[in-house]
Amino acid sequence: MKNNIRIERAIKGLTQEDLAKKVSVSRQTINAMEANKYVPSTVLALKIAKIFNKNVEDIFLLEKSD
Amino acid sequence: MANKLLLPNKYKKIGWCLLIPSFALGIYIIATGFQTDWLHAKTFSIFPDELSTNKKFFSLTDVNLTNTLVGSLFIIGALLVGFTKEKNEDEYIANIRFSSLLWAVLVSNILLLIAFIGVYGSAFLNVMVYNMFTVLLIFIVRFNILLYKSSKSVPDEK
Repeated sequence: MKNNIRIERAIKGLTQEDLAKKVSVSRQTINAMEANKYVPSTVLALKIAKIFNKNVEDIFLLEKSD
Repeated sequence: MANKLLLPNKYKKIGWCLLIPSFALGIYIIATGFQTDWLHAKTFSIFPDELSTNKKFFSLTDVNLTNTLVGSLFIIGALLVGFTKEKNEDEYIANIRFSSLLWAVLVSNILLLIAFIGVYGSAFLNVMVYNMFTVLLIFIVRFNILLYKSSKSVPDEK
């Protein structure tokens, strides 16, 4: 699964730390997701989508290998 | 994602305070066979020494408590360090913890397997002594390495 958290974050002008605080996780978690090293839980995915005012599908996308 | 098996973060410090000295002392005991003279006591035992005359279950037995004390403190310390929350506990850290635990069980048992194949006789007793502590020890080392790595690798922050 890939995501465009980094792009959405840039649009909103948020740092990793800002976003991490908003969804109450550590900055490492945001970093690991942006690096495609970690697939977030449904709860966290929904929280992130809510921050960006978008649907989950707009931010998290399935890949062929999934 | 709340994990009920984890203690609050404040216990981690207590854990390190028990783990580090008992680990150092444990290594010292293994290396030198050191036993204190004063830690001798009649103690309640579930099963006493195989070789002594006293072979009753649940009886009092006279033993040197050095190993008992150091081993117990090590296990308590290691459990406190391994089973407490991080300061910034979240689902990613929980994920790292589980994968470290899996890795530790695997590595520890591979080492045990190698020892089974390659070590014989009374030397195998040493293997058994080490193997009692390897799962917890490898888990703690692996978990902290991964935590450290993930805190370091924060590239192109905007």
